[in-house]
Amino acid sequence: MKLVSLHRKIERNSGLLIFGILVVSSIGGLVQVLPIVLGDAHGAPAAGLAVYSPLELEGRDLYIRESCSTCHTQQVRPLLAEVKRYGPYSRAGEFAYDRPFLWGSKRTGPDLARIGGKYNDDWQRMHLLDPRSVVPASIMPAYPWLASRDADQGRTIQARMRALQQLGHPYSDQDIAAAPAALEGRTELEALVAYLQSLGRSMAGEPQP
Amino acid sequence: MADMPSQFWAGWIVVITVTSFLALVWLIVDIYRDGDLGGEVKDELWDETLREGARPAPVWWFWFILALMAVSVVYVMLYPGLGAYRGALRWSLGGQITERFADYETQFGARRRRILELSFAELAHDEETMRSAWRVFNNHCTSCHGRDAGGQAQQFPDLSDASWQWGGSEVQLSETIRAGRQAAMPAWQASIGEQGVRRLADYVLALAAGDDGSAAQAEGAGLFQQFCTACHGADGSGNPVLGAPALNDAVWLYGGSRADVMRSIAMGRNGVMPTFGGRLDETQIRLVAAWLSAGAKVPDER
Ligand code: HEC
Ligand code: HEC
Ligand code: HEC
Repeated sequence: MKLVSLHRKIERNSGLLIFGILVVSSIGGLVQVLPIVLGDAHGAPAAGLAVYSPLELEGRDLYIRESCSTCHTQQVRPLLAEVKRYGPYSRAGEFAYDRPFLWGSKRTGPDLARIGGKYNDDWQRMHLLDPRSVVPASIMPAYPWLASRDADQGRTIQARMRALQQLGHPYSDQDIAAAPAALEGRTELEALVAYLQSLGRSMAGEPQP
Repeated sequence: MADMPSQFWAGWIVVITVTSFLALVWLIVDIYRDGDLGGEVKDELWDETLREGARPAPVWWFWFILALMAVSVVYVMLYPGLGAYRGALRWSLGGQITERFADYETQFGARRRRILELSFAELAHDEETMRSAWRVFNNHCTSCHGRDAGGQAQQFPDLSDASWQWGGSEVQLSETIRAGRQAAMPAWQASIGEQGVRRLADYVLALAAGDDGSAAQAEGAGLFQQFCTACHGADGSGNPVLGAPALNDAVWLYGGSRADVMRSIAMGRNGVMPTFGGRLDETQIRLVAAWLSAGAKVPDER
């Protein structure tokens, strides 16, 4: 068979052409994406990785709401300088319970992948309410409303956890039943700080690099 | 398909990549053999009455594309790309960073080991070393302790004075940084009442002002002996093992106004210095500790 004549035929038939374009443009995805989604190892949770507690999960959603990832990344790249500054470089398994992941792409502020435990809770609270109170030259915006708003005002924590449970996050039904109580009386500030303090903890004590 | 073995996916990648590559080569070669390169503009009928002239691609395109294909074949032979095949160069991202760390070790290893052997006084002597120490401090500690290590926000202690809550020896300073510290000053409001708190505050302020105040604040002194000496010492000079600060000097972490001191006594204080053992290595810890020990002098920026 001559491939050129086949090519000519396809070029002259729009139905065939659309089909051909779909086949050709799917090749990259079939090779690069499908094995990672369906096959295995990459999606497996890292040893020591814990699923987010209801408070941390709420904090994560606040991190998304406040668009912290426009200025902060959550990925330590495998470069000497980054490992020296932030700690061990990020591994795929650390993001098994991040849907969607919050890797970000721009660093106006520092990377936050290993921020958990770097500061105490007091500092995190002061810094979010007024960054200039602890870092005089900071250009990070202040988030004063976090302190006065209750966490989970929409009462959606159970629905969110159930959705993640369906996607394979190991929440038990008891966990979900207990979630509203865990958020009772907590502020958004507490939730966001709990989330920040959880970041990168599964790799604590991991030898560099 | 989720439980397919990884060989399956390796094979999947190889088959699709090789097949589509060969199909492309075939197509290009076919076009060449068809003589559909170079030459005259052809008048082609595309559809019913739709005509358009088609100029065949120049011949050098053919050779160019073929050369690029040859390059990609060489590439997947050298580098990982075809399924589980690791490539002749055995290159890997992990291997690359391991190599960088090895370079770093050859470049700085000897100097870094030497830092572990020198005494604090010897380290403080070398300006370049103190500059490195300050850089470590600037990267990890200034957000809390301030750029000049002078403390801030009545939460984070001044590290440039010689008054150490947890002790200022080489071992104690290094341990503070390596393992962190959690202070536990109990809240006294409930057990000694508003009145007691006020008397104690007056007594503590008198202590700090340099007189032991026992005549003027006899009741405060009594309460102090009863509740506070276990940690702060009979004369209020503190206990570095517990992180209980000296109260008989004018250095205050949480403020020295009457209101601040009353707040400390009534509600307690629980300062937390984070653990840096996992973030800094022993050389860096020793460097910063030596810099603090030498008075935390910020070097001139160059
Ligand atoms: C306009 C960009 C910007 C936005 C938006 C922003 N930050 Fe920042 N952030 C910064 C900058 C710049 C710094 C470094 C100065 C400082 O520490 O304040 C920083 C520092 C931080 C740090 C300390 C990091 C370290 O290692 O010292 C944390 C934690 C942090 N930000 C959290 C947040 C959170 C949470 C949000 C969303 C509520 C947020 N940031 C939104 C710019 C931003
Ligand atoms: C269990 C040990 C313990 C006892 C008992 C104790 N303290 Fe303390 N105290 C501490 C520690 C530890 C700190 C440091 C707290 C911190 O750094 O967060 C402290 C801090 C303080 C401070 C704040 C100092 C500053 O620099 O701002 C005052 C004032 C104080 N104590 C007074 C008292 C008084 C008065 C009593 C008796 C009623 C007392 N303490 C009993 C352990 C103790
Ligand atoms: C989250 C903010 C924070 C960061 C970051 C931080 N510290 Fe601290 N540090 C504290 C607090 C709070 C205390 C007081 C603990 C207490 O109340 O006893 C402290 C206490 C100390 C002490 C003991 C002071 C004394 O009087 O004994 C030393 C030494 C110290 N820090 C050094 C460092 C160094 C070096 C770094 C950087 C590697 C650092 N700190 C980073 C918050 C911080």
